Order: sequence, then C-alpha cells, then structure tokens
Amino acid sequence: MKPTGLRHYAKVGLLLLPGLGVILGFISLVVWFAIAQSLGQFGFRGEDRWTLDFWREVGSDETFRRSFFYSLRVATISAIGAVALAFPFVMWLRQPFRGSQSMSAILKVPLLVPGLVAAFLYVNFISFNGFFNFGLQRIGIIDEPLRILNDERGIGVLILQVWKQMPFALLLLTGAVRSIGDDVFLAARDAGAGAAARFVHIVLPLTLASMQAAMVIIFIGAAGDYSFQVVAGPRAPFSMAQYMNVTRTTGGDRNYAAVIGMMLMVMSLFGSVSLAGLVRLAVNRGSYK
Amino acid sequence: MTAATRRRRIARDSSELNRRRVNRILIGLLVLVSLVWIFLPIAMAALWSLVDPSSPWAYPDLFPRDLSFARWDNLWNNTSLPTAIGNSYRLAPAVGFVALALATPTAYAFGRLEFRGKSIAQILSLLPIVLPSFAVAIFFSSVLIRLEFFDRYLSILIGHVVLFMPYAIRILTVSYAQVPQDLIDAARDMNAGPLARFRSIFLPLTLPGYASALIIIFILSIEEFALAFILGSPDFTTIPTILFSYLGFNFVRSNAAVVSLILVVPNVVILLFLERLLGSVGLESGTKG
Repeated sequence: MKPTGLRHYAKVGLLLLPGLGVILGFISLVVWFAIAQSLGQFGFRGEDRWTLDFWREVGSDETFRRSFFYSLRVATISAIGAVALAFPFVMWLRQPFRGSQSMSAILKVPLLVPGLVAAFLYVNFISFNGFFNFGLQRIGIIDEPLRILNDERGIGVLILQVWKQMPFALLLLTGAVRSIGDDVFLAARDAGAGAAARFVHIVLPLTLASMQAAMVIIFIGAAGDYSFQVVAGPRAPFSMAQYMNVTRTTGGDRNYAAVIGMMLMVMSLFGSVSLAGLVRLAVNRGSYK
Repeated sequence: MTAATRRRRIARDSSELNRRRVNRILIGLLVLVSLVWIFLPIAMAALWSLVDPSSPWAYPDLFPRDLSFARWDNLWNNTSLPTAIGNSYRLAPAVGFVALALATPTAYAFGRLEFRGKSIAQILSLLPIVLPSFAVAIFFSSVLIRLEFFDRYLSILIGHVVLFMPYAIRILTVSYAQVPQDLIDAARDMNAGPLARFRSIFLPLTLPGYASALIIIFILSIEEFALAFILGSPDFTTIPTILFSYLGFNFVRSNAAVVSLILVVPNVVILLFLERLLGSVGLESGTKG
C-alpha cells in the first residue's frame, strides 16, 4: 500500500526538489523564453511588443519550409534506418556463441566515438583526397576523384546518423529481445512458425516499447542536428537547427529564430510521437494478420 | 534408440553445424566491414595527424612520405588547444559531481519510495533528453543575456548539469532500488540511525552506480558541442568547439585529426573501464522497455 500522509509527501517533495525541481525550473524557463521570444519579446534590438508577426512570417518563408521537411525526412529515415539495421544484429546475437561478445563490442564502437569525431572520420574518408576516392582510383574504377562531400540529398548526414545511432538502438533492443524467453520461441517453432513469422508475431510485438523508445530518441537527436549537417550535409537546404542559428547570428533576428526553434521543438515532439504511433499500428496490424 | 530418434538427432546435429558455419561466415563479414567502416577511418586519422607539413600526402602515395609530430607540436604551441583541453577537463568533473549531488535525493525517492504520480515524475525527469539540445542552448543563451549573466564557465556548467542529470537520476534510481530492504530493516533493528544506514548500507551498495554515472556524465560533458558552442563562443573553447573550427568550411584535415584523437582516445580508455562497472550496476536492465 502506498503511504499517503502529508509528512510522506512533504518528504517526497523535498527529495525531488534538487533534481526534478531544477530540471523542471530550467526547462520551464527555457520554454517560456522560447514562447515569449517567438511572440516578439526579448529581441534585444530595441522595444519589445507582443505580436504574431514572426509566426506569420513562417507561412511565406520558402527556406523555412525546405528546412522543416528536410529535417523531418532526415529524422524519420535515421530513426527507422538505425532500428532496421540494428534488428538483424540483435537477432543474430540473441543466443550467445563463440565470438558473440566480441561482435557485440565491435558493433558498439560508434558509441565511443563523439559525434564530431565521427563526422571528421566520414569527411576524411569520402573527401576529394580521401581513402574512398583513393581506393577507387587505385583499383581503376575511376580516373578522377569524385566530389561526393556535402551531397544535395543529405546522404552523408543520413549515413552518419545511422552509423552513430545504430549501436544505441542495438543496446535497447538487445535487452528487450533477451527478455523474451526461449520457451516462447520454441513453442512458436513447434507450432510451425518460420523465422519470419516468429519475428513478426513474437519479436516485434514484445520489443515494441524498446523500439519506440529508440526511435523517439534517435528522431529527436536527428531532427535537432547541427554539427553533422554543417560538416557533411548539403549547403542547401539548411537543417532546422542550422537555419535557426543562421537567422540568429547572420540575420540578427532572435524573434524569428525563436519561431524556428519552437517549430523544431514541436516537430521533435509530434514527429517522434507520431512515428512511435505509426510503428505500433504497423506492428499490431502485422502481428494480427 | 529408435530410428526416428536417431534421425531427429542427426538433423539437430546437422542444423547446429550449419549454424556454426553461418556464424563463422557472418563474423568474418562483420570484421571485414568493421575494418573498412570503423578501424580504417580511425587509422587514417592517426596517419593524417602524423603527416609532416613539408611533404604533403596525396595521390598516388599509399602512405605519407614523412611522418612526424610537427602537427601535434604546432597545435600545442600555436593554438588555443591546451586552453580548450584545460577548459573541458575543468568542466567535466565539476559537472559530474554537481549532477550527482543534485540527482541523489531524487534518485532515492524514485528508487526507494512509493508515491502517487511517481511514473509521471520519472518521465518529466527525462525532459532535457527529449528536447533538441541546440534549441535549448540558444534559448538558454537568451535567458542568460536577459539576466546579464556572462560567466561562460558557469553558464556551460549549469547547462551541462541540467542536460545530463537525467542520466544520473536514471542510473542512481536503479542502484537505490536494488538495495535489499532486509539489510536496511536489519540495520534499523540494530538501532542504526539514517546516517549510519547510509554509510554502512547505501553507500557501499550504490558506489558502482555513482562511479558509472560519474564516468558517463564526464564523457558526455567532454563530448558536448551545442551548449559549449552557443554559450562559450568565441572566448571559451572546449575540445569539441576547437575541433568544429577545423571542420566544415575551414576543413584543416591534419589539425582535425590531432584534435579528434585527443577527444576519442581518453574516451575509449575510460569507457573500457566503465564496461566492468556497468555490469555491477545493471544498467541494461534499467533500459529495458
């Protein structure tokens, strides 16, 4: 039975204050500033006034529209790609075998590499004078080095996101898959279910929560990406974080930058929740077929 | 033994043999892919950091003509790299200790006490992780400007503490929850007060959790880019911000290689040490679902 006394709740409140209290205070302050700034306050350029003008600007801003859909695309593909790539490894490493621990460790190496270093390694690998071009030239596939850095479709950013985030998905999914008992798999096998059927009807539904958690966190990280985009992404369109920073620094317009920041937060929240919902729908539909 | 049993055993042995063969092939493939995808780029970075400035490394040379520590020497003596390293290593331990101190009461409440709204409070404590850090950094900088608070070290410290406290809360919650209740009851029966119980039971049993949380936050703080870039630039440099300055438009490959290695090598060493600790704190069980 849960204790309900006033004294108990006062104690809980005091205990939560330094940790949760500080987090809530900080986030509330930041979000309040974001809202107020997007409505014309704290522009630091003279007199402030409450207005919706900066929000109206978004509707006619083509650069914003392109940035929004670019970031949405990168975030969605990164989240789905990282989880989809992690699953075969999770299934392979589900039961221990000779060398499985080493394989698991190798797969998790990108977790040890900071994002910016990963970006450098990638750029160094595929740049005009990089090993990729060097190798293709040495084996005679190309005569001249290819210019594939900062490609227009953002493939470099997607590769980096999936490379960096796949081990995270692997970590979350490994725990979930290992918690499914062998007896469940054996029972399904005895009932005549093949590998694909076992994956669709057992693994996917029972790992849904972990899969959703991985996708939500990867989606939010990729949607708000700045460094991968600046180092390896296309020169246009901007990512949302990049456009927000450019607007704030080059344009000096903090109020409009705040609108972009608010839209980024809204996209992160609703985009990740929608993706998690769609995944649940797809898994449920697949498993009931 | 009947013929049917013998046939089943032969089929099982053959399936096991096939499984081992497939595993061996997959291990070989994964090692090969990892060599190209992970270890080759890191080896290339190490080589690039050692390219002697007097003889550039270009096609068709397979390896640099001359190797030296001239780049390391130049970066150490003529750039702000030593200051950046000092700043990063001054910041990260402070962030770790402050975050642990603030997270402890909340983690105790989550791990040991029952109260209404606990699961909502636990979800709310993850807020800093689910908001795009670049947007949070920009809005936090606006808050600081408004408050006329210009101490860059303290600003980044506060930002990092809030950003990484969810990790401390999560890990310590698992640690506190795993302390056996009968030990606490036994100590209470022997008239041990709250302080004695904490010193003799909680502290030794949660120490691995504290060590893991400290190391994880230390690494996250060393790697963190968005807050350090937005709040610190241009006066207060950290290792990631100085690395960023050598990437992107001003891509200085050898310098970036040196800074990348300075950032990644200590991380790998620390994280290898962490592997042992994570086992005892049961982090994986804490990430399930």
